[in-house]
Amino acid sequence: MTNYPTDAEARVALQGVEQARLRVIDQIGMPWWYWWGLAASWVGLGVASDVANPWVTLAATLTFGAVHSFVSTRLLAGRQRTSNVKVRAEVAGRRAPALVFGFLVGLGAVTVAVALLAYADGAGHPATMASVLVAVAILLGGPRLMAAIRAGAIRRAAAG
Amino acid sequence: MRDAARFDELIHPATRLSIVALLAAADWAEFAFIRDQLGLSDSALSKQLTTLEDAGYVTIERPLSERRRRVRARLTPVGRKRFTGHVAALRGIIANAVPEA
Repeated sequence: MTNYPTDAEARVALQGVEQARLRVIDQIGMPWWYWWGLAASWVGLGVASDVANPWVTLAATLTFGAVHSFVSTRLLAGRQRTSNVKVRAEVAGRRAPALVFGFLVGLGAVTVAVALLAYADGAGHPATMASVLVAVAILLGGPRLMAAIRAGAIRRAAAG
Repeated sequence: MRDAARFDELIHPATRLSIVALLAAADWAEFAFIRDQLGLSDSALSKQLTTLEDAGYVTIERPLSERRRRVRARLTPVGRKRFTGHVAALRGIIANAVPEA
């Protein structure tokens, strides 16, 4: 015969379920090296476009694009911050990859805009200047974006 | 579509329920991750996973990577369905509880 729990026991059991879910949600994010690698590459490309041969800059940009697209297919959804667990897509949220992609496109636009402004102002190395600024934004904004995605996952979990 | 509420005695014990709930939110999880998150010993977790695997609720995978052996647990579709049904049953128990006067 089945021993059904009392409503108090059922509440405790559901709290345990919720806590376990939150432990997994806490794993949503990108590895630290992704943001640092992205910021370093951004500065590298900025420096290259200021001082290197245009062909070198083009080759570096294409290489960066290829490497980033390879890495980001695994990481962009924020489901595998570590190799210990892979968060389910519906838990991380279907919008997470689009949000990160939008963040990167926005940073690209900011880089170009700041570089053009710096160039118009007569700066010696406008692309380097713009890329350093955006690299800082990547290091500060990337983890904050992932925190926002985690907060969204917690809200969805609370809503059931 | 929601799974029908169905109380599952195999899942219900607290430790097992936490393991299944953890796996339900993940595609897979490493043995060490589950152990550390739930504060279990290797033997305790191993025993619970074996019970769940025998019931067909969990699969254990042993991919070889980075020259070290890893053990991953994954909820099967049956396990996921049972878990969803169990959570619905717990919610039903709470919803049907008679408020104290």
